[in-house]
Amino acid sequence: MSNINESATSSAKASNGIANIRFGVYNQPSQIVGKSVKETREQFGRLWGIPNDAVAYKGKDKLDENYVIQPNDNVEFHRRAGEKG
Amino acid sequence: MVSENKRFVIVGAGGVGTWLAEGVARLLEWKYPGSALIIVDGDNYEEKNKERQHFTKMGNKASVKALELTQQFSKTIFIPVPKWIVGDNFNGVTDDDSPKMKASDLLIENDIVLAVVDNFAARKILFDAASNLDNIDVFTGGNDDALFGSIYHYQRRNGVAITEHPVAFHPEYENPPDKNPGELSCQERAEIDGGTQLLATNMAVAAMILGRINHTIVDKQNPEVSEIYFDLGLGKAEPYDRRTSLSEVSV
Repeated sequence: MSNINESATSSAKASNGIANIRFGVYNQPSQIVGKSVKETREQFGRLWGIPNDAVAYKGKDKLDENYVIQPNDNVEFHRRAGEKG
Repeated sequence: MVSENKRFVIVGAGGVGTWLAEGVARLLEWKYPGSALIIVDGDNYEEKNKERQHFTKMGNKASVKALELTQQFSKTIFIPVPKWIVGDNFNGVTDDDSPKMKASDLLIENDIVLAVVDNFAARKILFDAASNLDNIDVFTGGNDDALFGSIYHYQRRNGVAITEHPVAFHPEYENPPDKNPGELSCQERAEIDGGTQLLATNMAVAAMILGRINHTIVDKQNPEVSEIYFDLGLGKAEPYDRRTSLSEVSV
């Protein structure tokens, strides 16, 4: 597993396009391309209940808070698995 | 009818495990006669468990459930293991009041393991033991205190992980926030709060695991849907592909 850090200055911050964001039962293509992981969490956090410390993944790679989301990215915020039974 | 014998190992005969055992027993009886279901649990069934768990009498959960199923089904062998599961590095006390068994001594090649204990620590022990075997399936699942739950399928074939060990996507498996009851004293175990779980969510976890067993073991389909999150309150379920061969999946 690796960490991905791609800052806003090195990417097309205002680029158009769609990326996918997921958290637990939620899954939504969204116009978040050009936004950072931190900004995306803030946007969806209250709506979906994403914890402030939820790690973002792209595949198996953990994303840095400043990673700028690219077109067609599939960004998943970690949702703790069900524990009890 | 499918005619190959299977060895299923269910670890945890509680809110999820009792319902799952009932389903797996029927699956084995009709699909794989002559198979074995090993039921592992060191805990006792008590009056307070009655709201969510399916037993006909008090006593050790593994022993009572194995006896109940033996009385109902004639073509399947039910084996109770009334012990707590511990890791290979466990060096605490093992006595008659708290018998223990190492996960690496329990699991063998080609097992289908149902890790439905109520904590991440014991699940991690089972996943880690499974990761040392060449061919094995481990299904796990759990819920919170309300209507949310999730399940996960870890599969290995010919020494290769087909789906990821859950630690790849779940920090709670890397550093479990809870403790394995098998490594606690009787007093510490008695103090664990079972929370306010719901029967519906327990049964939904069991049903989802049984569904994945049907799809990947009985029907021999690939484990593309390796993890499912669900919320009975929202009426939503979401599948995740955790296969190792995946690179980034585009929208």
